[in-house]
Amino acid sequence: MHISTDPWVWIGVFLTLCMFSFLYRENGFYRFGEHLFVGVSNGFGVSFMYNNVIKPNLIDPASESFRLAFTGEFSWNLFNPMEDVNFIVIIFGMIGCLYFARFIPKISWMVRIPIGIFMGYYTGLSVPAYFQGTVLRQVGATIVNPAKMSSFGEGLIAILVLIGVICTIIYFFFSKEHKGVLKGASWVGIVFIMVGFGASFGFTVMARMSLAIGRFTFLLRDWLGLVQ
Amino acid sequence: MNWERLLMLDRRVIFLIMALVIALPIIFPFGLPTQVTDRTQRLFDTIDATREDQAVLLSTDYTPQTEPELHPMYISILRHCFARNIKVLMVTLYIEAAGLMDVGLREVMDEFNARATTHEDSIIMGEDVVFLGWKPPPIIPILAMGQDIAGFYKQDFYNQETATMPVMQGIKNYRDISIVVAFSSGSSPLWFVQFAQTRFGVKVGAGVTAVSVADFYPYLESGQFSGLLGGMKGAAEYEELVEREVGVQGRRRATEGMSSQSAAHIAIMVFVIIGNIGYFATRRKR
Repeated sequence: MHISTDPWVWIGVFLTLCMFSFLYRENGFYRFGEHLFVGVSNGFGVSFMYNNVIKPNLIDPASESFRLAFTGEFSWNLFNPMEDVNFIVIIFGMIGCLYFARFIPKISWMVRIPIGIFMGYYTGLSVPAYFQGTVLRQVGATIVNPAKMSSFGEGLIAILVLIGVICTIIYFFFSKEHKGVLKGASWVGIVFIMVGFGASFGFTVMARMSLAIGRFTFLLRDWLGLVQ
Repeated sequence: MNWERLLMLDRRVIFLIMALVIALPIIFPFGLPTQVTDRTQRLFDTIDATREDQAVLLSTDYTPQTEPELHPMYISILRHCFARNIKVLMVTLYIEAAGLMDVGLREVMDEFNARATTHEDSIIMGEDVVFLGWKPPPIIPILAMGQDIAGFYKQDFYNQETATMPVMQGIKNYRDISIVVAFSSGSSPLWFVQFAQTRFGVKVGAGVTAVSVADFYPYLESGQFSGLLGGMKGAAEYEELVEREVGVQGRRRATEGMSSQSAAHIAIMVFVIIGNIGYFATRRKR
């Protein structure tokens, strides 16, 4: 046993035990750790965002543009958005600032402008990518073809996947009452869904245990030195 | 047996039992063998087949809470690449991951440099590896790297010019990347499939948390992923491969936790079985 003398390890241990104390019951130590985490996360995010996004992409190019313009080095390139140093970033910065318009009731409607631009851009970008990368390829992967029948095992799995996909879709098909063939197929769909839930639960247990193992390894190895 | 009393057991007793089940195997591991699955082997083989004029792109997109599962994967793949003299480009799409990447990279570099006897054996920042840092929003860097990586990431995480770095010579965009491996506690492997693979044809591998691995299996089956590491088990498999096939020794974080993982799973199964027996036994009485 070799207890750590590193103060950062002790801080980590204290906060870990604060969090674990919730397993006994809600208490002040847990709430202290929780609030500290929220505060530190936000502080880290804001400072990182300022130094890595706002400063290099808005403040530096804009201030350099003003410097050049007022020291006799003005050129029309300062209005070219493709240049590293340009005035145009100020327009984008102002559009971004409209997010704060919601705090002023008279002009709160202006918040829709940056939201609209953002949503339009991402929707246009994501919809084709989602169809190409997920929907079409996944539908294609369910089609049973001779290449998938190279062995008995692979062929069986390909057929199971096909049956599972069709029956699960039938289970979620609500435009016709589930009677006769539809009833049987939707029942098979439920079986596949339950197997899926079971697999997800098993993986969830594994994931949660991994996190606990990570913390226990920290306590037993890094703090107490019980493990080499 | 008094099932009513058992079913009314204070949940804190179960927490205490689980703590013991997890802690004791960490102190006294029983060392179960690690079986390497096909999906891990496929990822290893794809990285291993990287040509001299190519690089591997690692996108490390996880937060501290998933570190026990994903950090060992990242460390193992770094060891694999450095041992095979494969160029490594690193980015992160999550703001919280940047610090973790820096710590992990320096740890593996120190491991290799402590053993190095010549300049060629050493791992040097800018020559063998570059950490390009973080730029938001996530989709933009993924698309931009299809055109010009050094043009988009003009400076690395440490504010050094990337275009002149030896590691970037001959590496322009995804055409020069053998595989993108995304370690993620979210959806970043899918973003690479949807925006990088469909447009630029780059291979994608994934290292994901166990809780999300079931969502990613279809992409492995469809051939969109060239390999998949799932949770701590996947990381332990890759550690096994790197030690066995590449001969790199080092701390095996995921393997250390596998004894506890196995013991915890057995305990959970026992609890589920006892709970079910108790439920049916008491239901009959009611």
